[in-house]
Amino acid sequence: MVSSSNRLVFGVSILLFLCLAIFPWFGLPVYFVSLLFTVFMFVTLATSWNLIGGYAGYLSFGHVAFFGIGAYTTALMMKGLHLSPFWTILSSIPAGFVAMLIAMIVGYPCLRLRGPYFAVVTLCFAFVVDLGIKNLDILGGPEGLWLKSPDLPIETIRAILFEAMLVTMMLSIMLAYWTSRSKFGAGLRAIKEDEEVAQTMAINAPRLKIQAFALSAFFPGMAGGIYAYYLTYIHTDIVFDMMISILIVLMALFGGGGTVMGPVIGAVLLTLINEGLSTFVKAEFARIIYGCLFIGVIIFLPNGIMEFFKKEHRVESGISLAENGGNRSAA
Amino acid sequence: MLAVNDLEVHYQELRALRGVSLEVTQADLVALIGSNGAGKTTLLNTISGLIPAVKGQVSWRGNSILGFSADAICQEGIIQVPEGRKLFSKMTVGENLEMGAYLPTARAYIAENLQMVFDIFPRLAERRKQLAGSLSGGEQQMVAVARAIMARPQLLMLDEPSLGLAPVMAADIFQVVEDLNQRGITILLISQEVLHTLTIATYAYVLENGKVTLDGTAQHLLDDPRIKESYLGL
Repeated sequence: MVSSSNRLVFGVSILLFLCLAIFPWFGLPVYFVSLLFTVFMFVTLATSWNLIGGYAGYLSFGHVAFFGIGAYTTALMMKGLHLSPFWTILSSIPAGFVAMLIAMIVGYPCLRLRGPYFAVVTLCFAFVVDLGIKNLDILGGPEGLWLKSPDLPIETIRAILFEAMLVTMMLSIMLAYWTSRSKFGAGLRAIKEDEEVAQTMAINAPRLKIQAFALSAFFPGMAGGIYAYYLTYIHTDIVFDMMISILIVLMALFGGGGTVMGPVIGAVLLTLINEGLSTFVKAEFARIIYGCLFIGVIIFLPNGIMEFFKKEHRVESGISLAENGGNRSAA
Repeated sequence: MLAVNDLEVHYQELRALRGVSLEVTQADLVALIGSNGAGKTTLLNTISGLIPAVKGQVSWRGNSILGFSADAICQEGIIQVPEGRKLFSKMTVGENLEMGAYLPTARAYIAENLQMVFDIFPRLAERRKQLAGSLSGGEQQMVAVARAIMARPQLLMLDEPSLGLAPVMAADIFQVVEDLNQRGITILLISQEVLHTLTIATYAYVLENGKVTLDGTAQHLLDDPRIKESYLGL
């Protein structure tokens, strides 16, 4: 069922991807490359979080843990195995798998809890990991870990990491896109609506939830790995910063949970607005404006910015109902 | 086809089912009647695997299914329409129906089943793109039944499908249940509308305080003086 609009979306995405990919090779100030790197990182985080938080309705407030675990895994591999720069970037892939494995272990008991209980337990999980690493000397403990930077100009390093994060982001969005139209995504949405009824519909809720949670940890783990290399110095206060956890949730919900584009839009907008405000406005006012923005969106678009587009879509599909009864609405 | 034997279910100290036995044979329309709190829904939820039993047997085509998870029981072809409809209210009618066909076995027949569902409930075809939560109570009940049919049930268990509906709508629902049974679907129907239920059922059980106190062919029960007195008020 590849419609022309699908092909269009696909084409535009490829074009956008290429435009972004060549961006760092134009000799622009490193600042812009770094800014976009941060945007990609948050898009990856919010998009991945959306699988469990947006689709299944399980609000994880501990996703920074997977990010940090990814960062530490990469750092340890780099230090322990004396990896070259090239291999370090690839080592973010096993870092993703480590995050995924930990998500499965943690998810097994935690996903039995619902609503606020799940949120609190995941929050605590992030604190526990943070404290645990802080107290382990082999992991650098309270001093953190220094990573050796390769002997390349900073622009080149930044550009390489930029590309790595861009690819990670594209993969996470592709996963989100697939989820939105697969049976897997449908099952998760059913769980969000009513878990008991979903089960009487032959949906294996416990298994789907674990799968969603594990997948939602994978790309944050990878992103953490790339970020570790980007920083070259990692410390628990940076990679387990609770603010990241909260931002992930806010971005996804700001854009619209349970949609493909919602977390992307949310992450892009909030990162850029935050950056713009802290550059051009005095810090005190920046926080106030940021806060007001949230309040505004919550009051007027409680289901996120995507709702604005969806409403129009609903009306359209209502009119065209008679002609194409066979197509399901792209919710 | 389905045999429940000496089933006991407890909610903490409360003994909700105290040794219930019943049997549903292929192509039957078996009714389960009884007052509030008799244990009707508990029995259905236990068969569906949502509540664990303390003791007893539930067998399906000769194999025990007690202790199976809810989704495994669905895969066996036993589909429940829960009480109070419980639709996915933020999904459209069409999406609700698709969710019904979640099983791979049902998925293969999705087009065919949709056709059948729209044949039985023409109104749902018109409402396909509406959010399920925006429908009237009767229409929602139709969606709930339709969603269950999408799963290609071998045994369809309906929990109070006429609850809270206007008499006309309730009559429609009973008509549909009878129609489904004539299409070859075996049905276990819970209802408090005894007269209506017994007119369409082939066999019926009366549940009181967690025990089967009476059973027999529907016609037989309709003529029974005890039924007349306690349930029909005659």
